[in-house]
Amino acid sequence: MNSYGKIRDWRQTYIKDVSTDHDKLNRFHDEVIAATVECAMNYVQRERGDPPAPFAFFLMGSAGRFEQSVFSDQDHGIIFDGSQEFENYFLTLGKEIAEGLEVVGYQLCDGKVMASNPLWCQSLSSWNQQVTDWLTEANWTSLRHFSTFFDSRVLIGEERFLEEIKKEALTIIHSRPELFIRLVENVDFIKKGVGVFGQLLPGAHGEQSGKIHVKQTTFFPYVNAMRLLALKEGILAPSTLTRFEKIKADYPSLHRFEGYFMKLLDFRLRFQQEVESYDQAHLIAMEQLTKEDKKELKLFMKKGYELFSDTKKMIDNECSAWS
Amino acid sequence: METVLMDNLWVIIGTFLVFLMLGGFILLEAGSTRMKNAGHIAGKTIFTAGIGSLMFWAIGWGFIYGEGNWFIGLSDFFYGDASFSGEGLSPAVDFMFQMMFALVAMTIAFGGFAERAKLSAYVIFAVLFSAVIYPVVAHWIWGGGWLADHGKQDFAGSTVVHLTGAMAALAATIVLKPRIGKYNKDGSSNDLAGHNQVYTALGVLLLWVGWFGFNGASTFEVADAFFGFVMLNTQLAAAGGAVSAMLVAYVWTGKADVPTTLNGALAGLVAITAPAGFVAPWAAVIIGLIGGVIVVYSMKLFDRAKIDDPIFALSVHGTVGVWGTLANGLFAVPAFSTEIGWGQAGLFYGGGFTQLGVQTVGVVASGLYAFVVALIILKVMDKMMGGIRVSEEEEIVGLDLSEHGGYGYPENIPHPEEQRGA
Repeated sequence: MNSYGKIRDWRQTYIKDVSTDHDKLNRFHDEVIAATVECAMNYVQRERGDPPAPFAFFLMGSAGRFEQSVFSDQDHGIIFDGSQEFENYFLTLGKEIAEGLEVVGYQLCDGKVMASNPLWCQSLSSWNQQVTDWLTEANWTSLRHFSTFFDSRVLIGEERFLEEIKKEALTIIHSRPELFIRLVENVDFIKKGVGVFGQLLPGAHGEQSGKIHVKQTTFFPYVNAMRLLALKEGILAPSTLTRFEKIKADYPSLHRFEGYFMKLLDFRLRFQQEVESYDQAHLIAMEQLTKEDKKELKLFMKKGYELFSDTKKMIDNECSAWS
Repeated sequence: METVLMDNLWVIIGTFLVFLMLGGFILLEAGSTRMKNAGHIAGKTIFTAGIGSLMFWAIGWGFIYGEGNWFIGLSDFFYGDASFSGEGLSPAVDFMFQMMFALVAMTIAFGGFAERAKLSAYVIFAVLFSAVIYPVVAHWIWGGGWLADHGKQDFAGSTVVHLTGAMAALAATIVLKPRIGKYNKDGSSNDLAGHNQVYTALGVLLLWVGWFGFNGASTFEVADAFFGFVMLNTQLAAAGGAVSAMLVAYVWTGKADVPTTLNGALAGLVAITAPAGFVAPWAAVIIGLIGGVIVVYSMKLFDRAKIDDPIFALSVHGTVGVWGTLANGLFAVPAFSTEIGWGQAGLFYGGGFTQLGVQTVGVVASGLYAFVVALIILKVMDKMMGGIRVSEEEEIVGLDLSEHGGYGYPENIPHPEEQRGA
């Protein structure tokens, strides 16, 4: 496909066919994004010539975790080999990719986590330095960046680049167990979805009025807990489900939460069928929910809080025994 | 003689405290609204206090306490009496104390104007509210009017001051309509958050202290130091309101919301205004706790009804004021009612439904009068003034600039004329 417009049409035509199947939907997203990136690479190649060095284009956020719903925003970066002098070429490519993805139907990232931003488009050695700096500073912003970065996978290009940076990061973290405590604290605030009397807590104002923010209230505890354990166990895979599988042997008591997360992925998709924009993608209106749905959603929330709380305790215990 | 002078001194101290409540309203209202309107809110409160004072002196007092009929008093205009009989309060002390209540009622009414009314609307309504709304209700209940002999129990003016102010505020919010950006097309509302919660909290604290004068000095005397008991009830109800409002907000929304907590404290104070001298301390706690719960639900109800009440005057002074007044009919103890010849004991003290009925009649009649007359006045003003609301452009730029020509926070908001460009 040689234009963003054609890719957009293709996306619009076929996304409905896969929108109820989590796995198929995410594979389709991968295909659409890969086609867009290739299209962008061709445009840049025509104007600026071939890429000056091998590189990796990687996805982060929900795309990185293979957990996108029908609508999604962009979260991506580039790692290139060689010196920082190639930055200009790859930033141009990153900008072209971001613009292309926007045309195709992926909203620009509010937080500018995109390969068009110098923070997320660097040489391999700069990336290594940056991740080391993030972990050394260990402040709120730097750990946020690190967590975002760690939920990543290469879509096009050299997978070993990303693997190398992640392994280096794991070495640093495992040499400083106190970092785990900071990483837990960094994601410890969970927006409440259930009230004291077990009632759902929809938003009160604006576009969230009468709606549940399912990403913040329900997804995050699962995603954050599994990321923390992946860091702990040196698991490089970004998908929450894969992480569940891989920690099974070491944390058998947590395996019971996997089923809830799988059901949650399907539950969310069920309410995405009428959504028309990314702004609405994380919201479920109370009126859409039947009594049974509400019960199910509350169960997902409670189990998520339980998982996060258990994970926190395990990490606390292990780290205090460690240090 | 000495006790009489102490009575006068005590009521004048109460006068200072009640007047200082206007400072509380300035901080409360400014903190609860956006910074582009802060200077306007501060300035108009002082300015309308001037209008209200002159009106009260010229005709307000006369309409309330002058010789007249069941509806209104008709003498003692342009009041000025330096005499003192040596008994009770000196006329000037009494006058000053009463004037402050009129100013508080008017300031409550202006809560319904916040962030969108023309300054000229404030001026005209201040005159008319001080002339034909507040004095009439005050005459009915305090000045020998038709409700005076019914035995209505309203210790410090829950109905006369708070309900009258709140009903005028309700009429204003209806005529003015919601602020720009408050409601979305789908009917959901937006939170136009106030710009300074510290101001709002300090405003509440200042009002809380002022309420010791409002309720405490409403004993009109120092005999038996009964004012101490009244203040105890006042403190307990305010405390109950603050605690229950925060708990309800937390249980309901999952957030320990600060503005709601602050409104809870005010709700406790409003709720205890009528029963302060009639109920036992345990009842004051219950009255405050329930007031704090009611205010949260009332705020939500008005929001759902698309009545935009920026500083929650309708809920705090209106809904909760009604609750407090009716609470007398439930909790009034015989020692402070039947036995001193001031109405009947409450339902829980074997007084039956009599007092509850009297309280209800007082609330309905006064509330209805204040609302209907305020609505008529504001509708007529709206027609004759080409609207009492500022233009959309003026509302967006803020009333500081549109009505007064300069911002309350000049360093923080660029003046439009400074934004030069092609």
